[in-house]
Amino acid sequence: MKEKKLKYTLISTASVFCFLLIWYLIADVFKVFPSSTFPSPFKVATAFVRKLTVTTPDGGTLGKHLIASLKVVLLGYLLGIVIGVPLGILMGWYRRVDLIVKPLFDLIRPIPPVGWIPLMILWLGIGIQAKATVIFVSAVTPAIINAYTGIKQTNPVHIWVARTFGASNFETLLKVGIPSALPMIFAGLKVSLGASWMALVAAEMLASTEGLGYMIQMNRMVGKADNIMVGMITIGLVGALLTYILETLEKKLVKGGRNK
Amino acid sequence: MISCKHVSKTFENNGQKNEVLKDISLEVAENEFVVILGPGQCGKTTLVNIMAGLDHETAGSVTVNGKQVDGPAPERGVVYQKTALFPWLTVEGNVGFGPKMAGLPKKERKEKAKHYIDLVGLSGFEKSYPIKLSGGMRQRVGIARAYCNNPSVLLMDEPFGHLDAQTRYLMQEEVERIWSQDKRTVVFITNNIEEALYLADRIILLSNCPTTVRNEFKIDLPRPRDYISPEFLKLREEISKHVETTE
Amino acid sequence: MKKKFQNSKTETVVYFICSLVGLLIVWQLAVSFTSLQKVMPSPFVVLGFIGQSLTQKIGGKILPLHILASLKRVFVGYFLACIIGIPLGILMGCSKTGKAIVKPIFELLRPIPGLAWIPLAILWFGIGETSKYFIICVSAIVSIILNAYAGASQVDQTLVGAARMLGAKPAQIFLYITLPASVPQIFAGLQVGLSSSWMAVIAAEMIRANEGAGWIITTGMESGNTVQILAGMISIGLVGLLLASLLRLIERGLCSWNIQGR
Repeated sequence: MKEKKLKYTLISTASVFCFLLIWYLIADVFKVFPSSTFPSPFKVATAFVRKLTVTTPDGGTLGKHLIASLKVVLLGYLLGIVIGVPLGILMGWYRRVDLIVKPLFDLIRPIPPVGWIPLMILWLGIGIQAKATVIFVSAVTPAIINAYTGIKQTNPVHIWVARTFGASNFETLLKVGIPSALPMIFAGLKVSLGASWMALVAAEMLASTEGLGYMIQMNRMVGKADNIMVGMITIGLVGALLTYILETLEKKLVKGGRNK
Repeated sequence: MISCKHVSKTFENNGQKNEVLKDISLEVAENEFVVILGPGQCGKTTLVNIMAGLDHETAGSVTVNGKQVDGPAPERGVVYQKTALFPWLTVEGNVGFGPKMAGLPKKERKEKAKHYIDLVGLSGFEKSYPIKLSGGMRQRVGIARAYCNNPSVLLMDEPFGHLDAQTRYLMQEEVERIWSQDKRTVVFITNNIEEALYLADRIILLSNCPTTVRNEFKIDLPRPRDYISPEFLKLREEISKHVETTE
Repeated sequence: MKKKFQNSKTETVVYFICSLVGLLIVWQLAVSFTSLQKVMPSPFVVLGFIGQSLTQKIGGKILPLHILASLKRVFVGYFLACIIGIPLGILMGCSKTGKAIVKPIFELLRPIPGLAWIPLAILWFGIGETSKYFIICVSAIVSIILNAYAGASQVDQTLVGAARMLGAKPAQIFLYITLPASVPQIFAGLQVGLSSSWMAVIAAEMIRANEGAGWIITTGMESGNTVQILAGMISIGLVGLLLASLLRLIERGLCSWNIQGR
């Protein structure tokens, strides 16, 4: 068993290595494409280090753009889940709320969050409010859907048990409904996070003066592919890191494992 | 004809050894209906899987029709507790699956499937998907599917474990009827004494964890048997005593 | 029981209509009596604009043709994502060696959102159609691969065992067990992928295009035309809804075995 595991780890390492090697060969050895549009992995690594201190051509170091992006995304995301999760729970638990809010929600939901960008820019300008609102819209939808589904999937037997022990409707929600929906809610938080991060990049590319999306967009205009890739890699890394933090939080908070 | 000689099975998990089967020897004659009666969760399914060729013994040997078992083969049919029907195929598709794998032309396949669907009493449901069938009907399809591949040996792993009591009686009678009409060598696993007594030519009683052969009973009652005849009840009481002492 | 179910269904419809009408009334009242009218047109103006643009051109094309232009891009990019993503996902799910080769590279690229590829795509392929196909494909492919992978790797092993006992060879197991068993999961991925594609085409058109649904809303923004933006958003939402329902219909046809008691 262990030998097999080792074999697959080796294959995986070799595969990543080959990927980088082919990238290197295409870019630097055979020079299939001009290095301004297709930089080698080494060029990208150099650009990464350089971008930590240099502000040209996009007016900021990597750190500054990253902090600008994080500020916006966390603001929009937190707002989205603070409003979305309770709303989803209420919709799932109280039939009246469900009947009134669900149709409204279903009317607005099909519009992709990115589609809100022009309206928000027109109304709120290109500052943090417009972007945070767009991210809010992206984050709130999955948060609502998952909290709603999680509550709806509560095992009715558990609800009956709580009821026969004399729990009120609200107590039952608190003690049975929400705990059993927690795994679903967390899955929603993860989807929300991915959607927020994606919306941020789009919003920053369209209208911004700082941030990672702005950075890659500016570097496109001056044709610096190495900086674009630095931006993309940073976006990917930070996105993965945020998801990882959320997963760690989930493991601590969700007791008794996921209910199958 | 099945013959198990000194079969043992040990699972290893993170260096921890877990002996499931210990030195099991048993013989099943041609067209004999043998019921393996055992308590608990331990080892019965593993024994079936070893006879089927889906799992390997760690010691001993299993031969079917004189040949060493070293992998699955169509000569051995299995009926599973959870039916294991292919949900994307209709009843007809499920029953005809084996012949299809063997490359039989469509027309012959259909005729063959039809024959066994009729045998298990499911005429009219050829085009239904498993999800629309009741538990008892699904088991009928499982039996027809195993039969349709024309195996010489049928292995039935607690096929009625998930059924309600009423359906269970009905299915026991059905299995008896089907087997009497079209005899095969059967190894039938159960933890239900009544079921064992109703069906078996011979009952092999297993002990729990690690599983070994505890006892054997030849059942000579005439078929079809009566659940409440004095002979039946007497045998039932006798076997119950043995089962209790093995727990 | 059945009667109650029907009642609750009519109730849902009634509440849906009520809230739609309510939304329109609140919107109209807010526009008529508050300062919101400075930034927000009345709903009837927007609906009127949509009706009008069915025949009158916006920037050289009527609205349906703009939508059609976006749809064409989605179909090319999405189709590419399907024919690359589904086999790749199944390969990862079925073969351990395949998984060892593909998974690490996939995991490296996966966290980068599809839209973050836009600048690079424009640099590589120019501002024409190719870069849009690329972005749509990249956006859709992740969930398609992930779901095909999950579907193929989570096939019930009892079913595989049953098929082996019935005489199926490895190739037959793949064809008759693994593939059909993964179909529901694959469709879940196709569904998510389709909505990602639709989002990606809007974003791509917003950044660089001279036609399409995304272009309509950005030009609306540039000329400060809120009516046009809202009309564009409503059309985008409607088409997105239509695409999702269409796919669900296809799924129903293909996976009727998976739908309980219809």
